[in-house]
Amino acid sequence: MKVLNKSKLIEALNVLSSQQEVFVPIQRESQSGYFSWADYQPERDELMLEALNVYQSPKNVVLPQTERMYGIISQGMEVDIDQTFEDAHPTLIFGARGCDVKGILAMDEVFLTRGFVDSFYQARRANNTIVANACYAPGPNCFCTAMEVDPVEPVGADVIIHDCGDYYAWEARTGKGEAVTAQLDGLLEDKEVKLPSAQPFQLQVDYQGVAEKLKDMFDHSLWDQMAEPCINCGMCTYVCPSCYCFDIQVKMFGEKGYRFRAWDSCMFEEYTREAGGGNPRGASKERFRQRFLHKLEFFQERYGTPLCTGCGRCIIVCPTDVNIARIIKAVKEAEVE
Amino acid sequence: MKEITEQIQTIAARLFEEGKIDIFIAWEQGELDFQTKAYVARSKEDAKNLVFNEYAIYNTANMLLKFRDGHERIGIAVKGCDSRGIVRLLEDLQIKRERLYIVGIPCPGLKDPLAAARNYGGFNRQTEPDSLAGKCLECIQPNPVICDEIIGPEQSPRQQGDRFARVKEMEQMTPDERYDFWEKTLSTCIRCYACRQVCVACDCRTCIFDEMKPQWVGRESSTTDNMMYHLVKHAHMAGRCIECGECERVCPVNIPLMLLNQKLIKDVGAFYGGPEAGLQYVEGAKPPLSVYRIDDPDSFL
Repeated sequence: MKVLNKSKLIEALNVLSSQQEVFVPIQRESQSGYFSWADYQPERDELMLEALNVYQSPKNVVLPQTERMYGIISQGMEVDIDQTFEDAHPTLIFGARGCDVKGILAMDEVFLTRGFVDSFYQARRANNTIVANACYAPGPNCFCTAMEVDPVEPVGADVIIHDCGDYYAWEARTGKGEAVTAQLDGLLEDKEVKLPSAQPFQLQVDYQGVAEKLKDMFDHSLWDQMAEPCINCGMCTYVCPSCYCFDIQVKMFGEKGYRFRAWDSCMFEEYTREAGGGNPRGASKERFRQRFLHKLEFFQERYGTPLCTGCGRCIIVCPTDVNIARIIKAVKEAEVE
Repeated sequence: MKEITEQIQTIAARLFEEGKIDIFIAWEQGELDFQTKAYVARSKEDAKNLVFNEYAIYNTANMLLKFRDGHERIGIAVKGCDSRGIVRLLEDLQIKRERLYIVGIPCPGLKDPLAAARNYGGFNRQTEPDSLAGKCLECIQPNPVICDEIIGPEQSPRQQGDRFARVKEMEQMTPDERYDFWEKTLSTCIRCYACRQVCVACDCRTCIFDEMKPQWVGRESSTTDNMMYHLVKHAHMAGRCIECGECERVCPVNIPLMLLNQKLIKDVGAFYGGPEAGLQYVEGAKPPLSVYRIDDPDSFL
């Protein structure tokens, strides 16, 4: 098997970075997320490949938090589009965990299938390669296997690397993966490897039958109880590797301007506010319920897989201790008339 | 703290039994030690779930906003900072005093459940110290400023040294240095609005940032829009911030939001004097910058 010696990791990232923009998990002062290797400064940044994960998922590589779509010139009642900002520069996500790869696969379903193709997403995703970092030691809030993720051999990865102590075992899985492997010609060595053994999960979550059961639980009292502490901030949705909801807005400076899209959150009141002022999800509980029904029921119904990937981020960051694993458990145990 | 828990449970049970309250707001214990969160008891039986422990840091006054339009008579347990939040809501006429039965807890200083959750979660390589929360080390008012009943002995403020030292350091910077600092710091904001949602002084029914016609602040997570969001939000907090520190505590990217609030506290104190926000409740009294008069002597505004 091919291996990348850890002593050559920085060199490898430099080489990859010369061919495409490489995003790696980094602790950058107070931020923890995927940042471009080209901006890496050792005195400020800490490479987090050996940590369990980082707080902000790599979804921003394929769906940036804010992205310009096209430029506008308005003259009187006429509007011209003078440019589009489609971004097709090649990118590489290096070191994503299986849960985060699954998040991107979920977005692929939304933006590329069922006859709806989002050209902005497609341009970025077509030129994006994923090097996944096999996960052998799940954390206390991890439950990805319950959400159909294989943490050691994640589906959707172009290359899988396995941390074997002094080196990463390097396994190309797709044509894109082979191309990236070829870029590292001379840095990878052949070696007999012994892969680590996977540690057991500390958190047990049983998702079997939850989507089905939720169909009859829209008005269940469980939502009142679960939503009570929630303050409807958008933190869970923004750290989530699979939350993809966005809004499209316009910024004008005199006659020139641009249309952009920005992440939005079902937790916000204005998210579902209608032009006439009405709001089908005006109450806090209704927004809370929507988030979990989308994750656990609606997406499953439409795409055959849950939208939660079991990464555990929202469990850690929630200021009011809302816990999706606990919600799945409560749904399982709930009595439905 | 066990005694305090027992006393809260006893008081809440008594109030339910006497028919004086419909709900009681305090904290409950989650699965793990540090997972203490806000809780609403609705019956005498529920009162058994109430706790006060070293992680009961969440500002219970914020929970009152969920009930401001109702008629429930509310029992509520408050620490010093939470009680200042109640004063804020009373001053803003968000809730009537007669709806509240306030149980005060002089606060010994608490730990941050979010820091504990991050230590436990395994994402951080370096764990954060298991000590009192930053906001508790800066506390000037551990004892409740308004309450109907008090549990436990008075506590002394934990804030030491020059309270505004960090602010003064900032004031010493040149305008360019200051701008660079805030530009860099605020550019990391992910606009999750947790700082707004957790703030008891943010009690506007429709927040300016949620208005669409017109849209006052852009939705891009750009330095410009982020700065606009934070500067407008904090300017709104002038004379209103009760210094509970929740905004800074919950921020997922650790923006030092209390530095902005403290600057405003210092300036409002210097310009207008008087007690700081939420430190005393006088019926009908209005804090600085919350009164509009058509004959205002200042021609600006």
